[in-house]
Amino acid sequence: MPILEAKGIHKDFSGLEVLTGVDFQLAAGERFAIIGPNGAGKTTLFNILSGAFSPTRGNVLFKGEDISRKPPHLRNRLGMSRSFQITNVFKEISVFDNVLAGVRSREGLRCHYLRRPFKNRGLLERTDEILMQVGLENERDTPAHELAYGQQRALEMGITLSTAPDLILLDEPTAGMSRQETEDAVQMIRRVTESKACIIIEHDMNVVFSLADRISVLHYGVILACGLPEEIRNDQRVKDAYLGQDNQ
Amino acid sequence: MARSHNPVSRFGLWAVFVILAVLPLILRGYQLRLVTEVIIFSLYAVSYNLLLGYAGLLSFGHAMFFGTGAFAVAILLEHFAGLPLLLAVTLATAFTTATGFVVGCLLLRVKGTPFALLTLAFNALFYAIAVKWSSLTGGDDGLIIDPPQLDLWLLTLDPNKGPDFYYLSLAILGPVILFCWYFTYTAMGRTVLLMRENEDRMRFLGYNTLLARLSLFTLTAGLAGLAGSIYSLFFAFVSIDAISIETTTTVLLMTFIGGTGHFAGPILGAGVFIYLQNFLSELTENWPLIMGVLFILMVLFTPGGLVGIIKGAAQWTASRRKTPDLRKGAKNRHAHSGS
Repeated sequence: MPILEAKGIHKDFSGLEVLTGVDFQLAAGERFAIIGPNGAGKTTLFNILSGAFSPTRGNVLFKGEDISRKPPHLRNRLGMSRSFQITNVFKEISVFDNVLAGVRSREGLRCHYLRRPFKNRGLLERTDEILMQVGLENERDTPAHELAYGQQRALEMGITLSTAPDLILLDEPTAGMSRQETEDAVQMIRRVTESKACIIIEHDMNVVFSLADRISVLHYGVILACGLPEEIRNDQRVKDAYLGQDNQ
Repeated sequence: MARSHNPVSRFGLWAVFVILAVLPLILRGYQLRLVTEVIIFSLYAVSYNLLLGYAGLLSFGHAMFFGTGAFAVAILLEHFAGLPLLLAVTLATAFTTATGFVVGCLLLRVKGTPFALLTLAFNALFYAIAVKWSSLTGGDDGLIIDPPQLDLWLLTLDPNKGPDFYYLSLAILGPVILFCWYFTYTAMGRTVLLMRENEDRMRFLGYNTLLARLSLFTLTAGLAGLAGSIYSLFFAFVSIDAISIETTTTVLLMTFIGGTGHFAGPILGAGVFIYLQNFLSELTENWPLIMGVLFILMVLFTPGGLVGIIKGAAQWTASRRKTPDLRKGAKNRHAHSGS
């Protein structure tokens, strides 16, 4: 059974058809990239998968369950987590507490009136583990807004991982990074998404081709081509529509 | 948000407890009544600050819950002769909590300015109901209460006696205020703080933020109701003033004067407000004018309130004390001030 399945996804914004029938399947443990020119509907598709809004028509199935109309918090509890293109962290709060928010959510410790998260050794250890994974163990107590840009992106990744998801949705994880930062980020993403399903939306073709097991090309609201990186690289339609124009 | 489990704060807490316990031996009559009033308004202001300071929700309608609690206890005692005091307080608090839940459901999806305006509208609605339903609330005349004696196993407390009422309010409200302090470290307390920072992200981390906000709103309504019920027992009287916009303004002033950025801010604010009001009203009839000017000055020049001033002074003293060590190098000083 695929972990995620999109079936005939349509999305209209007051008459403007952004997506006109998107279908794909994602196997457990697969890294899947969605690419396409600006305005192809990548971000809209991403928002529909993560629950920011519902499709006009069509269904999203996660672990066999129809989640098309489920709000984001319920999707997260089912084991799905997303990152944000524009860094979306808790700015005034320490790096540690940023990640702890997700770690305790995973354990169901969200709105308890008596239990104190910082008294739970298991949660604290798990949070430190995630900080190690994303390389922020030395910034534990730093307020998030004091971090350098690359570190904020790492924290964005840490928060995304904090609910121990089975499916990770990454929205342009290397946006705005220098070449060196991008290389480090790619290595980190490869490490932390090991054996997890992952969907990446990305503009940087080097990132896409070095991370993805499979690539879909979105063009004017439909999937133009879907296949292994080599197939996509050599696909004539893709070259015509996208790759040939502005990349490599 | 320091985790204040250090020996100093623990000692401080015990010291406050001991002082409060022996206060009736030192203070008499009117002075003790003022302290009792401060305790009552402390809970009112603390509950308000959970909304304003922790959740970032500016409400102009907190008096509707304070007033509901105040009227509920008065009406209960009037209509059910022989109702025990503590049961009346419990029922009044429960009723206010339920009211808070209903109002909270209607305010669920709004934040920011719409939230502030809607709470103002609800407060006006509650006030109008209290005025119009005079057969129940006494209208402009208010209700006179004859608080029953409180019989515990060994001792009997008479709410009409100053020291007895002082201990009664301290025993009920003290632990509740302590719970509020504890609450700010619980999962829910932290969730509220994180939601103020970034509610959108919380939703994508599995938090049902609407339910969390409703839950907090209901809690603060119940706490305000409890403060209100003790307030009307204290004065043995309740009028529609308790539910008026002025009572909302009072809690806003207390919280702002004390400072929203620290748990103790509203308690300090309640104390300063009540003593200042008491002092000024003896000097002049126009005391609200002076309070108003003071409030404007504080908002303009000390957004952190009194707690902000105290924190600033403490930092200043600490930095002065450190200065000799740092004279060796400017770089060193920079590193210290940044940490």
